[in-house]
Amino acid sequence: MSTPTSHSSIPNPTPSDESLEPNLQVGKRRSWKKLLEPLALLAPGGIWLGLLLLLPTLLIFELSLVPNIRPGDVVNPSGLKNYLLVFQPIYLQVVWRSVYFAFGTTLVCLLLGFPVAYWIGQMAPQRWRNLLLLGFVLPLWTSSLLRSYAWITILRPTGVVNTILTSLKLPALDLLNQSAAVFIGMGYSYLPYMVLILYASIEKLDKRLLEASADLGAYPMQSFWKVTVPQTMPGIAAGSLLVFINTLGDFVDPELLGGASSMTISRLIYNQFLGATQNWGFGSSLSMVLILAVSIAIALLIKYGDRTPQR
Amino acid sequence: MTNDQYTRRRFLVASAAALSGLTLSSCGWTLAKVSGAPIKTTAADRKVLYIYTWAGYTDDDLLKRFNDETGIKVVADVFGSNEEMLAKIEAAGGGEYSIIYPSDYTVSKMVEKALLTELDHSLLIGLDNLFSRFRDPIADPGLRYSVPMAWGATGLIYNSQKLNIAPLDWDYLWAHKQDLSKRMTLLDDVREVLGATLKMLGYSYNSTDPQEIKQAYEKLTQLKPAIASFKTDAWQNEILSGDLLLAMCFSSDANKVIQEDKDNKLQFVVPHSGSSIWTDTLVIPKTARNVEGAYAWINFILQPDVAAQLCERLRFAPPNEVAYNQLPPEIRNSPSLFPPESILAKCESIAPLEQVAEVYDNYWTRLKSG
Repeated sequence: MSTPTSHSSIPNPTPSDESLEPNLQVGKRRSWKKLLEPLALLAPGGIWLGLLLLLPTLLIFELSLVPNIRPGDVVNPSGLKNYLLVFQPIYLQVVWRSVYFAFGTTLVCLLLGFPVAYWIGQMAPQRWRNLLLLGFVLPLWTSSLLRSYAWITILRPTGVVNTILTSLKLPALDLLNQSAAVFIGMGYSYLPYMVLILYASIEKLDKRLLEASADLGAYPMQSFWKVTVPQTMPGIAAGSLLVFINTLGDFVDPELLGGASSMTISRLIYNQFLGATQNWGFGSSLSMVLILAVSIAIALLIKYGDRTPQR
Repeated sequence: MTNDQYTRRRFLVASAAALSGLTLSSCGWTLAKVSGAPIKTTAADRKVLYIYTWAGYTDDDLLKRFNDETGIKVVADVFGSNEEMLAKIEAAGGGEYSIIYPSDYTVSKMVEKALLTELDHSLLIGLDNLFSRFRDPIADPGLRYSVPMAWGATGLIYNSQKLNIAPLDWDYLWAHKQDLSKRMTLLDDVREVLGATLKMLGYSYNSTDPQEIKQAYEKLTQLKPAIASFKTDAWQNEILSGDLLLAMCFSSDANKVIQEDKDNKLQFVVPHSGSSIWTDTLVIPKTARNVEGAYAWINFILQPDVAAQLCERLRFAPPNEVAYNQLPPEIRNSPSLFPPESILAKCESIAPLEQVAEVYDNYWTRLKSG
């Protein structure tokens, strides 16, 4: 935000050659400018957010108050019946599965991503870092659907993994059509996000503290838990939340890789809007619950994901 | 910070207030209704025909031939399910399409919602070429709004080299669930999966009795541990590679996979106690921008040699009797493309069941979640 002293572009009138009246005018112009500058800067983004995020969310909220609404019906909000439906055991089970997939994927990404980010951020030669990061982001350039289909080919009983295993005289693994496949597929898809964010945090790690900790007789494990982890905690929190939020809304990988018990909240919402049921009211209330859950996660991120490392 | 500056919070509060005022004042708005206002068309509209169809129903040769014959360029978009198509058409007020390919039961829904143009039969050439059973369907008596262009049935595709006993009916899945365990997929479609089970239990594919639907659900929970996944797509590669032994699928998809199957291991059967049978049609929405082009397209598809060539290339069954007679004998005698009449007689069309849609959806969510 601009402060009054930052208006260096406006010629500062000197009292010697200016009368009082123009001085007032300049003051007026200044206050207009103060008003217009933030407006001009905020308007495009604000209109964008208002029209394409806030307004649709409010419309969904209004829809969620109408029980059994279908396309073509008059929207007439009448109560919270749709929200009570969400809390039936059968739907809670679906919500629970989504959370389970999201949490598991976040854990996979964290466990795989931390060593990688640490290596790129601390140990890899400086001039290779950007290239290494780019290499990690490359998979994001392909379609997520394509990646899921590729995992089917890799994980199926006679797929790539099992061909290699059996040629090494090892027992074949049954990986496809269960949760393991979902964690593999989604973990792969979201690992780049985790690595990028962890990298930003690990790169800033104060090495002097690690040296001090070693000097004072801490084992490497102790140094890691007491010095490295607390310093990179904001990155861990931000990366984990970002992955968690994204995976909570994903249904492509659970659908294609997760087997017969793979209904997630996003798929349930999809069924209400585009499936045979066409119960848009219930779908909207499910969406609102999802939006609320993600908002809470983001609020936590803002509160605890402070960018200044704690020392 | 000086107090004349706009904090983020104040900006958000102000805009939220403005927006909620907007929505509250609009209480009683109608969800996605297509306006009845006449569409203005221009000369440019008549040179392009936008069609909304299923994947695999058109190919470049077809579009090119139509362009050569009429000078109209065709732009084809595809949808994955009738419900998806309907939701998009209603939400977008009809969109730009002049031809849509809904299945039979969706035609009646669209007629009910007044989305379709009544066809002028004097402008259609070749309706007499259709098999008589397609000329007066229940979903659209007298073909007032739709012209059938393809039909098929739901059934089972299986690996005949690995399964010693060939499946003939739905109960095979339960009887052989040990052999099929985690090596079979069912369609990701509530009405097809519950419908097939209802049929096996001796009920209608379109049962509206909650008790019968419950029985079907319970029967399916016995089969559930053996089901690898519910998939409408993405089973093709797995059944070609031999990883899947059996998949419930639409005959149109089965025939394409059988065409690709180099070692002739795959067979398709329409279960003997009956299954679902569907007809995909051509309709002109009320919002069509190029009605002239739309009629030209329908007449083009009705031409026997066009229909026969499409069947040979894309492997879907034409309802066109003259086209059928032009087909080479090996295609005409394919039981997967043209199942025997005795089985077809037991098949049912899927009917829209809005009153019990929630019952079906509830059991479906349980099945896919338990």
